[in-house]
Amino acid sequence: MSDSWNHELEEIRARALASLAGASDSKGLNEWRVEVLGKKSALNQISKAMGGLAPEERRMLGEALNRVRQELEHAWRTRQAEIEAKEKALRLERERIDVTLPGRHVPVGAAHPISRVIEEIEDIFLSLGFSVVDGPEVETDHYNFELLNIPKDHPARDMQDTFYLTEEWLLRTHTSPMQVRTMERMRGRTPIRVIVPGRVYRRDEDDATHSHQFTQIEGLVVDEGIRMSDLKGTLEAFAKALFGPSQRVRLRPSYFPFTEPSCEVDLVCVSCGGGGCRMCKGTGWIEILGAGMVHPRVLDMSGYDSARYSGFAFGLGAERIAMLRYGISDIRMLYQNDLRFLRQFSHA
Amino acid sequence: MRASYKWLAEYLDLAGLSPAELADRLTSAGLAVDAVDPLNRGVKGVVIGKILEVHPHPHADRLKVCRVDVGDRELQIVCGAPNAAPQQLVPVALPGAKLPGGVEIGVAEFRGILSHGMLCSAEELGLEPRYLPKRDAEGLFVLPADLPLGADIVPHLHLDDVVLDLDLTPNRSDCLSIRGLVHELSAILRRPHRFPHSVPAPAVEGESPLRVRLETPRCPRYEAQLLEGAEVRETPLWMKMRLLAMGIRSIDLVVDVTNYVMLEWGQPLHAFDADAIAERTIVVRQAREGERLVTLDGQERALTPEMIVIADPEKAIGLAGVMGGENSEIGPSTRRIALESACFDGRSVRRTGQALSLRSEAQQRFEKGVDPAAVSSALHRATELLVQLAGSRPVGAPRRVPAQEEAPKPTIISFSPRECSRFLGVDVPEDEMRTCFESLGFTVVQGEREWRVEVPTRRPDVALPADLYEEVARLYGYDHIPSTSMRLPVEAPESSAHLPLLRRVRRALVDWGLYEVRTYALTSPEAEAPVSPSGVPVPLLRPMSDDRRSLRRHLLPSLAEVARHNLAHQVPGGAIFEAGKVFLAASWPQAALPEERSVLGMLWFGETEGDPFERPRRYDFYDAKGVCDALLARLGVQPTYRASECAFLHPGRQASIQANGQSIGLIGELHPDVAEAYEVERAVYAEIDLALLASVASADVRVAPLPRHPASRRDLAVLVPQAVEAQALVDAAWDALSDRDILRLVRVFDVYTGTGVPEGYKSLALALGFQQEERTLTDAEIDEAVNTVLRAWEAAFGAKLRA
Ligand SMILES: [Zn+2]
Repeated sequence: MSDSWNHELEEIRARALASLAGASDSKGLNEWRVEVLGKKSALNQISKAMGGLAPEERRMLGEALNRVRQELEHAWRTRQAEIEAKEKALRLERERIDVTLPGRHVPVGAAHPISRVIEEIEDIFLSLGFSVVDGPEVETDHYNFELLNIPKDHPARDMQDTFYLTEEWLLRTHTSPMQVRTMERMRGRTPIRVIVPGRVYRRDEDDATHSHQFTQIEGLVVDEGIRMSDLKGTLEAFAKALFGPSQRVRLRPSYFPFTEPSCEVDLVCVSCGGGGCRMCKGTGWIEILGAGMVHPRVLDMSGYDSARYSGFAFGLGAERIAMLRYGISDIRMLYQNDLRFLRQFSHA
Repeated sequence: MRASYKWLAEYLDLAGLSPAELADRLTSAGLAVDAVDPLNRGVKGVVIGKILEVHPHPHADRLKVCRVDVGDRELQIVCGAPNAAPQQLVPVALPGAKLPGGVEIGVAEFRGILSHGMLCSAEELGLEPRYLPKRDAEGLFVLPADLPLGADIVPHLHLDDVVLDLDLTPNRSDCLSIRGLVHELSAILRRPHRFPHSVPAPAVEGESPLRVRLETPRCPRYEAQLLEGAEVRETPLWMKMRLLAMGIRSIDLVVDVTNYVMLEWGQPLHAFDADAIAERTIVVRQAREGERLVTLDGQERALTPEMIVIADPEKAIGLAGVMGGENSEIGPSTRRIALESACFDGRSVRRTGQALSLRSEAQQRFEKGVDPAAVSSALHRATELLVQLAGSRPVGAPRRVPAQEEAPKPTIISFSPRECSRFLGVDVPEDEMRTCFESLGFTVVQGEREWRVEVPTRRPDVALPADLYEEVARLYGYDHIPSTSMRLPVEAPESSAHLPLLRRVRRALVDWGLYEVRTYALTSPEAEAPVSPSGVPVPLLRPMSDDRRSLRRHLLPSLAEVARHNLAHQVPGGAIFEAGKVFLAASWPQAALPEERSVLGMLWFGETEGDPFERPRRYDFYDAKGVCDALLARLGVQPTYRASECAFLHPGRQASIQANGQSIGLIGELHPDVAEAYEVERAVYAEIDLALLASVASADVRVAPLPRHPASRRDLAVLVPQAVEAQALVDAAWDALSDRDILRLVRVFDVYTGTGVPEGYKSLALALGFQQEERTLTDAEIDEAVNTVLRAWEAAFGAKLRA
């Protein structure tokens, strides 16, 4: 009797294991489970039929039945894990993408090279204790010229051809009127240490090196005991910060009506490092700004007694710096705003 | 100013200094030399020859065959110049000679006749014809008869000279003369000079027959010399060549002498035909209203009372310091010469020159100031040269007005050597300072602490101690000034408020893909017409071109121009911005300066870049609005948008941007007509006033505590008529629940028209967020709130909840 049960159990087991090996996906596996381990399965039929057996026989058959059931359940779990792993692998493979496609476009903008230069220069001077101010672009003859020691009919007016709006009003030809405006605003207080970036205008024909509108950065320092060597030191610190620690400056005597002494300031040529090249016309130096000690008459006219106070001022062209830094050969590029040009300034 | 090296060397030992080295020394002392040009531009192997015979060429009408003596032999040379004649001395380029421009001369055949070299014109020798009198400039350059036959032409033509081209700053008028440059070089090189301090008056007895009346204060000094006879009219070669080197055209001996002395002494002179001066009386006065004068260039000039004229009792005969009159011009028949040496007011001369668009060498010197101490010497020197070279005879002594004999007073400056060293930041030895001043020709009276420095009138630019500091610094050498650092100020003055804001704006916009542009502030009313900005354009008095003749009133035309340029150059689209000024005036002219307003303008034009997942598409209103929202959020501003009515924007696609109850900007798609006018098809513009933005922006962050109780979100889709603005529903929701503090968020997250939505309606989906900081809200409470909102929407807009 028990032999025939055992035999049948063995057959069920063998058949189930064989069909389990044939189940290739979750669906087949589920069907197998219902068929082999479900309520209507052969095993369950045997289990139900056990009620009529003798206790000893029933116990032995129960144990055998449990063993087979456990074995089949274990086999099922193993198989299920196998199939799941296979199916997951398949799914992942199906989900493979072309990683070489470009990413979703995030537009990358750019600050204008002149702004870039201005911000950089502002930061340098901020770290040297300067503040940044700005002023009007429409100026009076008084501030643009007369208070800067350039009276009417002074030959120095030839140095700057001016856009006049009226006899007395004009587009500022330089940021220097802000020297006077700053001193007036400070009403005799010291120290004064400001830089003034801003647009300026001159009656120049636009070409590769001239622009009727350009950008100056003015600097002004006024205090007791300011020396010409402080001017040199400050500009040297600036040049090193902007163009690298090996930079040096050279002062050459020059003339501006509102400074005395005046100088042109040269840097070691950024192209050849001082050896001489076409850019520096073989001299190894390039001119980058004009500067000088604030003229005593300008100090006095602005309410600072020149017997007690001294100071220096400088003015540099942001376009010139941008052209040197970025290798721009034509100043008009800076005002054409071609995006193919501006895009090259995308990396911050 | 050009300067002849050889002329300088007459007065100063330049041994051991090449012209290039001299240029360096001058440049580093502040007298920038732009160029060093040898007068000889490549002449080699050219000798002085004498034409012995001239025969016509047998086979060519315009050629001549000359026999030429070149000292050691006779040569046959074919020549095309019409002025070739026997007995002339001419430059002969021998076979093997070199001429400027790389020309090499050989033996050549001209229609069967051999030519052993070439007879040269001035131009072929590299001399600029514009600086030569006509008869020297055309044809063969005929040389003076006293030159040695067969000698190399270079030294005899003074081609062995070198010209320094100086770019003088306007303060150094003293260096517009050999005299000034010699003094300067003497100081730079520390070598003594031989330039005369003064030239004595000609030894002539008797009073001058000339009378001079000064009727204007703008002529403080006038001196004149009458000369009789000028037999020789040909300028000697050396003077012609020297004038040529200096860039002055040789005209005629009398005029050349006045120019030569001007270059030498810096004092402009003028020569009148004395017989043209009525009553031998010179009157210096302001011109009369309506007075006219034909100047030497043949032009009739309308004079104004601003101008100073030289006149006789009847008529004007010259414009003081600017140009002589034709009626008193020196000519071949002139028998008596009145030489003028005077000081005229620089401003008047400058204004006169500007009014008549004249810019002579004399005028430039008067403008910048001439040395009153040189007036007499220049007159005497010119007299001396005319006596020597032209055979003229002075008649009477020079007439001087005022008659005073004493020299003009030098400027006296007190100078503290200690203060000078302190000011420059370098200890300059006192000996050094003293030598510096003395080498400049200044007189130093050394005191205990202060020195008395006397500056001659030759240097009007030196008037203050700071001017002396500069003289010390530039002659001692700017390179000796060390680099020192100032102590940092305890308290830095404040920066302008909107500059940091501008940086935040720039950074944000750049990060979101916008490109910053910088455009011109000058534009034209036509370019602005499509925008029709308020107020009137502010025009320039003298614009350089029609399209840049007024100040811009609006940023859009500038930005649209950038867009147009890019679209025309294969850039499919982009987003750009500029922070710039616009200039506003209600009327023009007006009593106040135009108002300058700093504005941020942004423009989206063309198409987006696109990627494999989203095709390129046209930028639209919401691209712009998204950026404005983000920008304002970053600046701590909560904007609201209200439909607006700007004529240059699409009537249905524009809004004003409001913050804190005021309008701070606007946003909208360009009106199709405007887009067409600017050739940009479609574009979206936004602008924000930077001053207003600064007034509402905040830089500080205040952290709010995180909520301790959960939030609930309800999404509602409602049908509303097309015309209802989403913002109205948002506002209505806040209003409806203003009595209870539970609503935290109202956001539109979808808008839909199409299937399922009746014609004329749209479906808006809004999210309402509820939260209370003190407790957890109940569902019933939230349901009731939602219903309140729905009722409010229905009442106001007929909004119906979609199923
Ligand atoms: Zn270089």
